[in-house]
Amino acid sequence: MPNTRRSALAAIVLLSVTLILLPALDRVAAQGKPIRIGEINSYSGVATVYTFPYKDGLEMALKEINDKGGVLGRPLEFIFRDDKLKPDEAVKAARELVLQEKVDYLAGCISSSVGLAISAYAKDAKVLYFATHCQTSRLTWDDGHKYIAHTTNNVNQYIRAIAKKAAVSPYKKWAHISPDYEYGQNVWEEFSSYLKQLKPDVQVVQQNWPKLGETDHSSYITALLQSGADAFFSSVWGAQEIAFVKQARPFGLLDKIKFYSASVGNPDELDPLGKEAPIGTVTTGFAWYDDGVQKLHPKLKDWVKKYAEWSKGKEPKLGASWGYASAYIIAEAIKRAHGTDTDKVIGALSEGFDMDFPWGKVIMRGCDQQAIPPQWTGVVKMNPQGRPVMGDVEETHGKDIVRSCDEVMQLRAAAALKKK
Amino acid sequence: MEIVTHFFPWITNGPLIAVQVMSGLSVGMFLFLVSVGMSLIFGVTRIVNLAHGSLYMVGAYLMVTLVDVLPDNALRFWIALLVAPIGVALLGGLIEVLLLRRIYRREPLMQLIVTFGLILIIGTLVLIVWGPDNKSVSRPDALAGSVRIFGQPFPSYYLLVLALAPTMMVALWFIFYRTRWGMLIRAATVDREMLGALGVDVSTLYTQVFAFGSWLAGLAGALAAPTIAVALGMDGDVLINAFVVVVIGGLGSFAGSLISSLLVGELQSFGILIFPAISIVLLFALMAVVLIVRPWGLLGRPEDGH
Repeated sequence: MPNTRRSALAAIVLLSVTLILLPALDRVAAQGKPIRIGEINSYSGVATVYTFPYKDGLEMALKEINDKGGVLGRPLEFIFRDDKLKPDEAVKAARELVLQEKVDYLAGCISSSVGLAISAYAKDAKVLYFATHCQTSRLTWDDGHKYIAHTTNNVNQYIRAIAKKAAVSPYKKWAHISPDYEYGQNVWEEFSSYLKQLKPDVQVVQQNWPKLGETDHSSYITALLQSGADAFFSSVWGAQEIAFVKQARPFGLLDKIKFYSASVGNPDELDPLGKEAPIGTVTTGFAWYDDGVQKLHPKLKDWVKKYAEWSKGKEPKLGASWGYASAYIIAEAIKRAHGTDTDKVIGALSEGFDMDFPWGKVIMRGCDQQAIPPQWTGVVKMNPQGRPVMGDVEETHGKDIVRSCDEVMQLRAAAALKKK
Repeated sequence: MEIVTHFFPWITNGPLIAVQVMSGLSVGMFLFLVSVGMSLIFGVTRIVNLAHGSLYMVGAYLMVTLVDVLPDNALRFWIALLVAPIGVALLGGLIEVLLLRRIYRREPLMQLIVTFGLILIIGTLVLIVWGPDNKSVSRPDALAGSVRIFGQPFPSYYLLVLALAPTMMVALWFIFYRTRWGMLIRAATVDREMLGALGVDVSTLYTQVFAFGSWLAGLAGALAAPTIAVALGMDGDVLINAFVVVVIGGLGSFAGSLISSLLVGELQSFGILIFPAISIVLLFALMAVVLIVRPWGLLGRPEDGH
């Protein structure tokens, strides 16, 4: 009797051990050692509104890739680290990932300053770094080098898309409101210079530089009201732009001066604004829900459905598409290199390649290892369900507006000269 | 004069100046509501409560939830505005009893580390409870529009703020100078040991003060909610402003907080017109000047030499 019990117990233990080990054994047997990528991003605090959807998209792509046998017969694996939005934390994490975790490559960033810091580390350590989520053009342009590839669009591309729309408008006198730091300055410089290039008779009549995270914009709003501008451009973003719009409305600013915004068309701003959304504003965004966009990209609808299943009912945000695309671009570069060796992967990246995504073609340009995706601009509208969305969507491909390889090399030369 | 109007074309524009003054006032009144609780807590407990912005954030998030949950009628905004700060006061009381009570006699650095730790803890809890998405509260219908001031539209919601902040000032004055509780608090700011020796339960008094200061933070957050996005990170944004105001006004001085709030509000309002490119520097320049001339703030008291 005790014997039976003991063997039954042994059987249960054995069975559970097998059950636990089985999937792992199976994976190792089928696909060999994983290709490891150290991913550094802000997974706590203020940026999670962007990074959580991004991670959803990234992990969805990862599952698809690994279910289809991985890359070169090996599974991809991401090791996530939280940078707390701080460049020094990010570099610490990068060092730990490279030296202790022995990752093959680095990836990540939502904050531009974090991206630039990881990039500088990658250059010194000769580790390939995929900047996946931050947007400053300096990453691959002024401060570019061979150890960095940027898998999402940069500021230059989507700001030029909206500046192009501004250039065909009748408005000549412009004002702006931009947060006073690297991103805001970069955006305003890109917008105003491209607008002037396309339409030389525009004038900048007034400027507003609130600090990043300013909560009360009343004084800027009244100043804008008196500026005499026909139109104004905003690169204030996220929670700060929601606050700005909510405060501007009762002052009558949005009825009086035409509003152009770099980011208000995204659902993370439009949904909280609800009925207070700035109808008629010209903006950019990821308009996956738009009939025209879905017609242009027949696979998009299906992808949105898959994403909803994957993320338990969420709608995709811009970040989700970036996370998704980034994982595939990294996989493609390794595939093209026929190996994980850093120099070979850089070789594949520097040759450049195109990839088809559910939202259109993404070009990984060889000369600067910079992704060039399609851009969408449109106008804020209420849909029939009373939800604010971006309507009248127009698609411009980044390749038609982005700075050319020659211009990029000039930027790099100028930056190198400055450093001397 | 021509040179003046060339550089400052707005100087002859009376209505603009009036609206700019008004918007500066409303900025200042918000700042007062946020900072006075921080000043109060420091005045009594001598703790620089870095988590004050976090309490403000919790007030705003509670406001979002309450407005969501309550039945849709004209009163729900006001009920939420009443209840949310009470929730924050309870949280503040809990924090005092569980944590701060243990560190009053520690060195200031230790206290800063604890309240800084609270920022991280509350921030993470808010992320877990409310999620990463930006949230928003609508203004009550009655205050959703604008009124005309000198022919210029001015948001009617700000009139509520403009009315509430001075009311709060008068109420605070009444509480501190006309009630027994207020007398005890003033006594505690002067000499807490002596007060204890006289048989007053200082420990309970501190809990009450911290809860009251938290209530003020919660009220400011709930009141600000309809004019901003309720989002992670609002704690840090408001903390810097509140801290600057409290330092300029003098830590622990209510009148100082009021004067410095108004000063900062108007400085920002006109700074934007005069020096648009460097308007955000002015605030810190003012703080630097005040700290050089009067290190204890406009109406603060110098530390007595220990």
